[in-house]
Amino acid sequence: MPLDDTLQGLDMQNFLEQFVMAVDFQTPVPVEAATPLESLPEWDSLAALGVIVMCDTEYGVSITGDDLKTCVTVGDILSRVNAKRR
Amino acid sequence: MVMVTLPNVRLRGIASCVPKSAVTNLDCPEGKRSERERLVRNIGIMSRRICYPWMCFSDLAKNAAEHVLEAVGWRADEVDALIAVTQSPDYPIPATAIILQDRLMLRTDILAYDIDLGCSGYPFGLYTLGCMLAHGGIRKALLLVGDRCATLQDPIFSDCGTATALEYDPTAAPIHFDMNSDGSGYRAIILPVGGHREPMQIQHLLTRVDADGDVHRDADLILDGTTVLNFSTQRIPPAIRALCDYAQTPLEAIDYVVLHQANRMINETIRKKLGLTAEKLPSTLYDFGNTSSASIPLTLTARLAEPLQTQSTTLLLSGFGIGLSWGSCVLRTNDVKMLPLIEM
Repeated sequence: MPLDDTLQGLDMQNFLEQFVMAVDFQTPVPVEAATPLESLPEWDSLAALGVIVMCDTEYGVSITGDDLKTCVTVGDILSRVNAKRR
Repeated sequence: MVMVTLPNVRLRGIASCVPKSAVTNLDCPEGKRSERERLVRNIGIMSRRICYPWMCFSDLAKNAAEHVLEAVGWRADEVDALIAVTQSPDYPIPATAIILQDRLMLRTDILAYDIDLGCSGYPFGLYTLGCMLAHGGIRKALLLVGDRCATLQDPIFSDCGTATALEYDPTAAPIHFDMNSDGSGYRAIILPVGGHREPMQIQHLLTRVDADGDVHRDADLILDGTTVLNFSTQRIPPAIRALCDYAQTPLEAIDYVVLHQANRMINETIRKKLGLTAEKLPSTLYDFGNTSSASIPLTLTARLAEPLQTQSTTLLLSGFGIGLSWGSCVLRTNDVKMLPLIEM
């Protein structure tokens, strides 16, 4: 596996853990990179605020509401974060 | 940003008045309980105060003003200026401050007008009256700040009126201000109808129910949560650091940073970015919610009355929100008369 993919994979695992905490699920649901945001019962305005705060405090990246609207899956959010980090 | 230092202005006293009537964010249908608990955990707001239908911001502010006048030992006829910072006037016109001049039986040869600001308003009010006092032309002034903004449905806002007594005093430590306004974000928090761009008409009052069962009208306040969150958490920490540099007062030398009480997510993010402990950043969110422009003086009343009365204290106050606008000040207080919280 190329080094970049390994780093990306590690990043994703950490990101998914942060994402689950940020959304604050009332009942645990499995979340993977390919999970569509709309399939998550608690993907609402409160969850969006939590994810924006998480991206800011954990990754130092400012994600906007418009950025989130372009994301279909959970993994798309990490891609936005990585794009803005570069 | 505009950075200004004002000499000769002394903070003499503060009183805050809230309605007795309280609601909690867990007052909801049984089926919504767990969703509401998640909301309370994240926004950090449990209880809110809400005016009785006949009560206005000005009633709370008048009560607070009478108490603060008595506490600082001023007669009503000694007051030279009265500014109300509110977006909940008694009437669209005339200004509420002028009505309060009469209700408080102040002299008629005084300045009295309103400042139309919300969550950011307290530092702006201090600055406006501070400018008048710094020259000594105005000797004693009242700043009445707050809003009637609570509704049963909205989980954020809560009602409060406050009164701050400010005095010309050549021995007072200088107050350092930083004030900012960015109207490009005016749509982030807006009451979109009822002004001249979009006069209120009957269709604006029609209700519709969304997928969550919540009722909306075009006449209601619109708050773009993600924009307000990004604005607050991106703009405020650097503005506070810049003001500390200007005031030559490092953050470590500030005893308390009192932020506008927006919600837990915003305030905690700002706190972490500034690297401050929770002890240094008092909060009234859980008990009183977001009381708009009153949240800074209310937090001083409810959390810092003892140190402000007994010690010389260095404060950094920062308000931010609707406009968009944001303003902060660094001041050194001494012997401030702090009234116990008033309920009416």
